Amino acid sequence: MATRMKLKLKTVFVLYFMVSLMGLIYALMQLGQRCDCAEHDMPKDRTISRLRGELHRLQEQMRKAEPTKPPQKLAVKPAQPTIYVITPTYTRFVQKAELTRLAQTFLHVPQLHWILVEDSPHKTPLVSGFLASSGLAYTHLHTPTPRDRKLQEGDPSWLKPRGAEQRNEGLRWLREDRRGQPGADTQLGVVYFADDDNTYSLQLFEEMRGTLRVSVWPVGLVGGMRYERPVVEGGKVIRFHTGWRPSRPFPLDMAGFAVSLKLVIANQDACFDGDAPMGFLESSFLQGLVTMDELEPKAENCTKVCVGWGWRLCG
Amino acid sequence: MPKRRDILAIVLIVLPWTLLITVWHQSAIAPLLAARKDDRHESRRDSRNTFTLKEPCTSENNKDIVEVVRTEYVYSRQPPWSDVLPTLHVVTPTYSRPVQKAELTRLANTFLHVPNLHWILVEDSQRQTPLVTRLLQETGLNYTHLNVETPRNYKLRGDTRDPRIPRGTMQRNLALRWLRETFSPNNSNSQPGIVYFADDDNTYSLDLFEEMRSTRKVSVWPVAFVGGLRYESPKVNTLGKVYGWKTVFDPNRPFAIDMAGFAVNLRLILFKPQAYFKLRGVKGGYQESSLLRELVTLSDLEPKAANCTKVLVWHTRTEKPVLVNEGKKGFTDSNVEI
Repeated sequence: MATRMKLKLKTVFVLYFMVSLMGLIYALMQLGQRCDCAEHDMPKDRTISRLRGELHRLQEQMRKAEPTKPPQKLAVKPAQPTIYVITPTYTRFVQKAELTRLAQTFLHVPQLHWILVEDSPHKTPLVSGFLASSGLAYTHLHTPTPRDRKLQEGDPSWLKPRGAEQRNEGLRWLREDRRGQPGADTQLGVVYFADDDNTYSLQLFEEMRGTLRVSVWPVGLVGGMRYERPVVEGGKVIRFHTGWRPSRPFPLDMAGFAVSLKLVIANQDACFDGDAPMGFLESSFLQGLVTMDELEPKAENCTKVCVGWGWRLCG
Repeated sequence: MPKRRDILAIVLIVLPWTLLITVWHQSAIAPLLAARKDDRHESRRDSRNTFTLKEPCTSENNKDIVEVVRTEYVYSRQPPWSDVLPTLHVVTPTYSRPVQKAELTRLANTFLHVPNLHWILVEDSQRQTPLVTRLLQETGLNYTHLNVETPRNYKLRGDTRDPRIPRGTMQRNLALRWLRETFSPNNSNSQPGIVYFADDDNTYSLDLFEEMRSTRKVSVWPVAFVGGLRYESPKVNTLGKVYGWKTVFDPNRPFAIDMAGFAVNLRLILFKPQAYFKLRGVKGGYQESSLLRELVTLSDLEPKAANCTKVLVWHTRTEKPVLVNEGKKGFTDSNVEI
């Protein structure tokens, strides 16, 4: 009986030993999985993951609150005119940086639709990917500039007018899109030509939203001067204060005016003349649309210089 | 003999347990397992959160929060402030010139998208200018407005600043001093913060600010259009550690990185109160090193932006970027989009 007892005890001990050994191996395997033994900041890792969760929650909140998200199924506001911003763009090193800055400004403007037109025979993946993640309501178009109108390497930037074909393509799309949607409300809107190398203040977009025909305002840092502006008397524009060729029909910068969508649709043939001499691009478009005394001055009768900024980044 | 057997048995019992206990002690496996369980639990909770925001059968609390945020955001334009996220203290030196307002406007439009951002704008002027004061008030951002004038070089007639002091140095140092005076190192856990030096003529993507929020000491990432290249970037090995600098212009600098390419945890700034940007006698390109070498070593750097393969900040200037160092074959990885 003693031997059986001993035997039993022996097996118990052996079993016990095996169990302990297996437990030890399991613990060693756990050790093996966590490699950064130098990092003892476990509570910090936990805080970081908690913070990340908090951040995602906040970002979700912000995205929900973003008023420019399409489609606007919920009628949050009564028909506020949409601002259609037509931007020509072309591939160069600073393109993504410029578009990023522009998008960050546009994200603050409610009811804005960005029409980005590439100077290219096909859509580039950089712009496609960028627009998809921008969070804006957008239309991605493209049209190449004919070679004889394109600036060559070494040409100064003022030699040939840039972006005429792209802006016209934007206008064409806009007119076609509106044709398919009859109704008075769909003609409510403002068209603005925003180049991708300028800076825009947010007040500018609110100023232009009430445009009935064509509104104008001062633009900073163009025409070799600190600013260019229309001169207003009695609520009407009588002439323009500019340093460069003030005898032009409309001596203003592309960033200095906005056109109501109604006017754009009513004048189906109004477009930019790519062959116009330098500085006459804006005039080639506006001439068919409006006369000087029909212009609507904005920015406190064009006295606030601080509203629109036209400024070149590259040359 | 039974005694020996007994002893053997006892040893066989005790030995594995002692080994286990010592190993357990050294590696603190218990909290490790607990943490992983927590993470799993949290991540499940998070994914549930994102799902519930889309589903209509959310709790009423969620719905209310969404509605309130919508109206507030449209009218006040300020991003929501969280008590949990670390604050990003963004230091921007600025000086009067024609494009100043345009640059600051653009910066403000960017910053308004970033939650928990504190903008420290330091003017290079004797007095705070009304232009900047008004701009800061109008944006509605959380800001601190400082000013210090870089001494003019009296030898040269005219308005030139002392060329021996790199631009913006005194302003950044003033911001560092303000941070040290405002925040005490004892409260560093209750007021977590990250310090970033953002010049007013660069372009920042919104992802960048979220990348730097998890900085423990000093984090680094690539910067476009510096050093005569498409982009400069730290070299990161397979273990995720920085071991060098992928630059053409003087890669042997202790920290061959641009001002916009790194961020520092506020705690580190407070714990090393003697660390400042060197004012004089700094060679071109060594300004960043003059601060970083007093704060951290190369091995402590945390690479961000997908192990330094994505470009999230562009050193744009009011001129075309000069890419002389790219050479014929191109120095930088052409697959990296800039």
